[in-house]
Amino acid sequence: MSMSLRASSRALAAWPADVVVRVRASKDLAGVILVAPAILTLVALLAYPVVYNLWLGFHQKHALQQTATWVGLQNYAFFVFSDRQFWDSFWLGLVYAIVTVVAQLVMGVAAALLLNEDFKGRLIVRGIALFPYMIPITLSVIIWRWIFNNQYGIANYMLVSWGITDKPPIWLGPDWIFWTLIAVSVWTFFPFVLISILARLQTIPPELYDAAKVDGAGAVGRFLNITLPQIKTVLFIVILLRSVWMFTKFDIVWMWGGQSYGGLGEHVRILPMYTYHRIFGLFQAGEGAALANIMFFILLFAAYFYFKYFRQEETSV
Amino acid sequence: MIGHAASPATTPSVTAAPGARRHAVQPGVRLRRIGYQVLLYSGAFLLTFYCVVPLVWMFITALKPPNEVITWPPVVLPKEPTLRNFRLLFEESLILTFLRNSLVTAFASTVLSILLGTLAAYSLTRYNYWGRDKLATFILLGYMFPPIVLIIPFFVWFKAIGLTDNYLGLIITYVALGLPFATWLLWAFFQSIPMELEEAAWIDGATRAQAIVHVIFPLALPGVIATSIFTFIVAWNEYLFALILMNTDPMKTLPVGLADLLNRPMTDWGVIMAAGVVITLPALLFFILTQNYLIKGWGAGAVKG
Repeated sequence: MSMSLRASSRALAAWPADVVVRVRASKDLAGVILVAPAILTLVALLAYPVVYNLWLGFHQKHALQQTATWVGLQNYAFFVFSDRQFWDSFWLGLVYAIVTVVAQLVMGVAAALLLNEDFKGRLIVRGIALFPYMIPITLSVIIWRWIFNNQYGIANYMLVSWGITDKPPIWLGPDWIFWTLIAVSVWTFFPFVLISILARLQTIPPELYDAAKVDGAGAVGRFLNITLPQIKTVLFIVILLRSVWMFTKFDIVWMWGGQSYGGLGEHVRILPMYTYHRIFGLFQAGEGAALANIMFFILLFAAYFYFKYFRQEETSV
Repeated sequence: MIGHAASPATTPSVTAAPGARRHAVQPGVRLRRIGYQVLLYSGAFLLTFYCVVPLVWMFITALKPPNEVITWPPVVLPKEPTLRNFRLLFEESLILTFLRNSLVTAFASTVLSILLGTLAAYSLTRYNYWGRDKLATFILLGYMFPPIVLIIPFFVWFKAIGLTDNYLGLIITYVALGLPFATWLLWAFFQSIPMELEEAAWIDGATRAQAIVHVIFPLALPGVIATSIFTFIVAWNEYLFALILMNTDPMKTLPVGLADLLNRPMTDWGVIMAAGVVITLPALLFFILTQNYLIKGWGAGAVKG
């Protein structure tokens, strides 16, 4: 290996990460052979379940038994036309997804802008700000359940001792459990937005801001005219992924109370909870599959329109 | 912090330090700069507080004897710090077994995902064949699956072929969850490695394999590491499939084992928090060491994606 090559690869590392290099690909069978294992794995692991679920959605089947009876569109018709619980779950899930995504975006972008500025201890704060996303979700649920504990929680203690209220709310009771769930979800997932936006902010050439300053642009003007257009592509993807993931969120909701079907569980019963209870609580695998399919189609539909109306030209998806 | 090793690709911050300005400072401007500094540091303080205080509270609770945990008003700092919770944790729970299960499944699935993903990413950026461009959409589709869509088929399927309560079953599941994501990120990384470098190596007489080992691999390494970390975290934190597929205690992973501690009839918060500390410490250490890769890796994926 020649020295010049080493030097040029070192020089390459100095390029901005977003330099898009047009690849001149060659026609070759070897390429197909290399990509085949990944594609076959994905088809086997993802396409099979989708096809199976579609098939199962047309059947009535006990979750633990082998026999399935064809019922046509009955499962779908039942949920859409005559099941109130389905619609309650749908709307609750929609509220959950929208509120948490908006809150994550606001906090994540604000924190990214902050951590892109220069100050002492910036690297430490950057590390710390990613903690919530990196600890297991089980753990963040446990910590917050302890903080919000109805009897011994530090949250209530602070409210009382600072004289804010004498009768602190029951955070994990019927009135508040949905809203504390949202608070915990935002705490856990906002670093995803932060890290994505921050990574992009770091690649914006400083000259752009210098030029704007010379032109007399204020902080708000610089944000709107330089920062926002630069992070638009990332925002597009981040909003898409976070919305999909929040709409299908299972674990955090399950552990925050969703595991009981009635009682408190009712207040956090979003679609994935409802699906789970239909399958493993009522053993209606066919109905559960129909619910899962409905969710999948809602997402495909929403993603289609999202791409159609908001896609940026530079997005290479 | 490792962050100092930041590559030149992560350009320094946008606003230069106030002192760096050459022009004479007017009083109004100085006031605004002080205001900016106050805003900056109070923002940084609030963010730190928000992210770190819950964890600090976990550490503190883990060191308290039971009578200081279950008490009102809460005792903020432990009066008689004790390791009782940790002792009970190791004696009464299978925490070390859970830890081993989590490590095995997360590690194996990461290696598999990265192997398949790297081959695919190299192929997608270096060869041309029918349908190549459609694969981007196909892989994105992998993102759209609600995990709950996968759960019935996986459960039925694995039950039938005896892969429940089995490492292999969970590893396969985590490859299904991690591979689309890993391929996506790696693809973005490989796109940023110019073809010219490889061609230069060929002209110098290197074979394709040599060019990959000496040119492509060193350049792709940061991306591969970043992707590995993310793939690992997905598996390490996963709850739903581990809950469904691993039914007996000796096969459970950390997230499920931890949740079981919470669901015991008499919740012992001290022991649970001690478990939290045991899980968090190695993860945090690892994470602080790799933080720089995380931010860079995410950037590449997000920018291209």
